[in-house]
Amino acid sequence: MKPVLALILILAAFVPLKLKMEAACDRIVPGALSIDLREQIGQSAFIAVLGGFRSVMADLLFIDAYSAWERTDWTYLLLRLRQATELQPRAILFWEMAGWHMAWNAGTAAMEDDSKSPAARRRLQHDYLELGEDFLVRGIAYNPEKPQLYEALARLYRDKFHDHVRAAENFEKASRLPDHASYDERFSAYELAECEGRERDAYDRLRALYQRGEKERLPRLINQLRSMEERLKIPVNERIP
Amino acid sequence: MNSSLSRIGAIARTTFIELARLRVFYVLVLFALVLIISSSFLARISFQQELQVTKDIGLGAINFFLSMLAIVATAQLLPRDLEDRVIYSVLAKPVRRFEYMLGKFFGVLGLLVISLVAMSILCLAVIHLREGAAVRETMQQLAQSPSEELDHALVGVHQAGANRDLVLALLLILTKAAVLVSLTLCISSFATSNIFTISAMVMVYLVGHLESIARDYWLHQRAAGWLVRAFLAAVAFFFPDLQAFNLSDQIVAGSSLSNLMLLKLLGLGVIYIVGYLVIAIAIFSQREL
Amino acid sequence: MTEPAIRVIDVTKIFPTPFRRRRVVALQDLNLEIAPGEIYGLLGPNGSGKSTTLKIILGLIGPTRGSVRIFGRDNSAVAVRRDIGFLPENAYFHKFLTGAETLRFHAKLSGLSGRETKSRVAELLATVGLARAADARLGTYSKGMLQRIGLAQALIHHPKILVLDEPTAAVDPAGSRDIQNLILSLKKRGTTILLSSHLLTQVQEVCDRVGILHRGKLLREGHLEDLLAIENQTELIVENATPDLLDGLEREIAAGKARVVARRKPQTSLEQLFLKVTETGDE
Repeated sequence: MKPVLALILILAAFVPLKLKMEAACDRIVPGALSIDLREQIGQSAFIAVLGGFRSVMADLLFIDAYSAWERTDWTYLLLRLRQATELQPRAILFWEMAGWHMAWNAGTAAMEDDSKSPAARRRLQHDYLELGEDFLVRGIAYNPEKPQLYEALARLYRDKFHDHVRAAENFEKASRLPDHASYDERFSAYELAECEGRERDAYDRLRALYQRGEKERLPRLINQLRSMEERLKIPVNERIP
Repeated sequence: MNSSLSRIGAIARTTFIELARLRVFYVLVLFALVLIISSSFLARISFQQELQVTKDIGLGAINFFLSMLAIVATAQLLPRDLEDRVIYSVLAKPVRRFEYMLGKFFGVLGLLVISLVAMSILCLAVIHLREGAAVRETMQQLAQSPSEELDHALVGVHQAGANRDLVLALLLILTKAAVLVSLTLCISSFATSNIFTISAMVMVYLVGHLESIARDYWLHQRAAGWLVRAFLAAVAFFFPDLQAFNLSDQIVAGSSLSNLMLLKLLGLGVIYIVGYLVIAIAIFSQREL
Repeated sequence: MTEPAIRVIDVTKIFPTPFRRRRVVALQDLNLEIAPGEIYGLLGPNGSGKSTTLKIILGLIGPTRGSVRIFGRDNSAVAVRRDIGFLPENAYFHKFLTGAETLRFHAKLSGLSGRETKSRVAELLATVGLARAADARLGTYSKGMLQRIGLAQALIHHPKILVLDEPTAAVDPAGSRDIQNLILSLKKRGTTILLSSHLLTQVQEVCDRVGILHRGKLLREGHLEDLLAIENQTELIVENATPDLLDGLEREIAAGKARVVARRKPQTSLEQLFLKVTETGDE
């Protein structure tokens, strides 16, 4: 009985320690593996995912999405983008590209589809814009510390939705995160300048940027400041030289 | 103590020599190298995509091949020594059974370290070369753009390339492989054939990647039926959480690994390795030769 | 009284066989003692329990009941094996190591220091006549060479006890003779030797005592002269005797109420003839 007892004692020490340490190492696992995913990507791909090849599979799906784009097969493209982002939600690139494909490529293609009426085209384009927005918003939910997705969303609001308020908000959020683009604060201020009732706020921000020095005194900033000084009737002695 | 280490070292060295002569070792390493090199031809969309794919496939290949090497190399050690009866002449010397087991463990570990270094150097070289090309491409494309735009773009390129976290991902891959070695020795300590050990370990490998889910279900009582709960508990108790060491995904995607998290994961690896080795030694000590 | 070198006390070994009702009783209440400096031969047909006995003495397997003591210490203590050298049957060594590497490996396992190892390896390779083959892999060795390297590794750490399992099997008569001489020289140095063999003539030439195992039981044991002596017979070998002298001796024996059983020319053994011829051939 002695060896069996020894084994039981070893396990009695090992198992609780193991469970405790595993709990300490737990972190947000990128999405549970659903049955739907298995059906979509097939059995062998699913086994590969189980074997720890999640991101390789995501890469392959994304490359397949690229081929779909070349064929302008928007439905297939959307499917693959959804699968790739589900498998690898920590890949910023996937969300960014997904947003771009939907809002810019699919959206533009919808507007140029002669087989549909103008109203239908606009509706379809709007649907694609919303899909693009959805990708970026979900991407931000998984990766709140990455400025790139906020920047992409801000561009989407600015260029496609013409929603300057949201564009300004998102450029500003991006500017508060590490490794953000150097133009985020400026762009946020530019967008704010287009929002009714926020012009003074925008002016103050642009002025603060101007005060920082030569690096910020880009032609567009200077032009915008001068234009706002006129609009807001800023006293001459307070204007920029 | 010194002579114990000396004996373990002697057995480890002999094990290493034995394994380094195996053809399977070279075949596996060759496959991994081919895969890493071919990955650079795979995606030509953007440099970020290319670097991401190279890193994913590179780390994925190293992960897979090192794991398979760990299992296959270890599985045949004990059966071979028993079949050739070499174990008799070794254990007839003043060698304790735990020294024999530890010697085998460190012998395989030596092989894994060398394989990892070889594959990593190649992988990092490919990434480094592609990163260099991406830097030149970017500088060409943004030659007329403001310097801050160029700087920002170059930061993006370097972030997508090789960094400290990549090396940490490789370290965790090695830790996972070491866990697999200790677990294979554990099964080998009572198994009667090479095939049985390998089959069992393939199952352990797959279940190990789902252990965290099983543990979660068992802890939070999400499953109905005592039989299912007992099964989940068994998985949670005895199988290692192999998914915990797969940080490659996150690291390639750009997340950084904190020092604390790294220490926790290495600690987890040590607990697994020590635990499974102790069990292996306990079982092997009672085994009739 | 000095402690016996090896003492097997009431050892029984039963091997469980999972799917059959009858268990295999390999050894039953085995008792034997080997004095220090003695050469003991363990004999028996295949399946008699010889290998099992050796493995139990070496601590490779444990007895179901009973115990083994080596110079008074229980043999389950690993340190006890520092005093034992083992030559296994069929040389169980790593085929990918060279002769020298094998000896260095076993030296390390026996706890020898680096310097000791170096000198000992060179010495033993010379002793067993493998100095020139030291850097060849064991996979290329002949059976005789494997046997010799086996002997060398058994002796690497100056053991007090040597356990030899079929030491001269698959070895030619010349090699066999060398091994025998080595055994005898070790005995002179006080090494206790336990050898298991089925080559009875050789056992007869070197052993002091023998034990005969059959189906796990020790049936006969004792000094060779005692065991082999045919009680009521005496051998008289005479040189240069004339036929008349021999006839006279026979008459004397008959008158003394004894009987001449046989009168013939003694024969040399085939082995002796072989050695004589090959030695002369070498010259």
